Amino acid sequence: MQVVPLNPSLVGRRYQEVSCPVTREHVERFAEAIGERSPIFRDADAARAAGYADQVAPPTFVTVMQIMASAQVVLDQELGLDYSRVVHGEQEYEWRRPVVVGDVLTATPQIAGISARGPNEFLVIESQVHDASGETVVVARSTLLSRGTART
Amino acid sequence: MTVRFQDVSVGEEIPSLSKVVQREEVKAYADASGDQNPLHQDDAFARSVGFPGIIAHGMFTLAHLTKALTDWLGDPSALLQLKVQFRAVVFMDETLVAKGRIDELDPATRQARLSVWAEVERAGERVLPIKNSTALVRLG
Repeated sequence: MQVVPLNPSLVGRRYQEVSCPVTREHVERFAEAIGERSPIFRDADAARAAGYADQVAPPTFVTVMQIMASAQVVLDQELGLDYSRVVHGEQEYEWRRPVVVGDVLTATPQIAGISARGPNEFLVIESQVHDASGETVVVARSTLLSRGTART
Repeated sequence: MTVRFQDVSVGEEIPSLSKVVQREEVKAYADASGDQNPLHQDDAFARSVGFPGIIAHGMFTLAHLTKALTDWLGDPSALLQLKVQFRAVVFMDETLVAKGRIDELDPATRQARLSVWAEVERAGERVLPIKNSTALVRLG
């Protein structure tokens, strides 16, 4: 199959806003899947007693938004990403406050970088995640590694 | 109850956190996160791309590492930053161990920088699915 490098002119491109209302049911399912049983992540009363506004979502819960964001990027025909070559290379988070049940999170994913090293290319997708008041809750940066697509 | 700045020292390791990676959990993670890549669910597909069977999501491994940090800190708001590299895959039924070590302590901000990593033992060798990675935390 023909190997095509990623389109570097797309650095800076923004995608459609993704939105995620943080429901109790979703936080429960996520916490259960990662084996999180600490009361603040499982019980609203325990979380409130510990000083949080409501049941706390585990810190990596925002991956839900990254999945939605990366789906748009992967489907961007102009980018030329072959998903069968992609592995998750790096992940970075800067948390400003914990996410809690009742938050409505939005993010506008952006291509923050495209670079090559050896045979591989690196695609950085950045999502600044905001709450309903517009405050930044977390900044997430995912580096996807596109195996063997660099121009050599 | 947050870990107190005066109670820790550079070089100290945080309590490690182990679990056996199970297929049902990885499936539950796919459904909860929305990442339905067949690499994490379909053995035939995983074999077609060169693995002996399905692998865990990188983010599944990272969620476990993050839990080691919040278990230690006792307060998720004390976790400020995490920057990780995924360097090896994790197979089903492997024992995943998350670890961290304090590298720097800043008395001015009461923050600590840690090296963090995840280990599995495979065919007698120690393999690091997450390595060269750091966390920044706020201590009490």
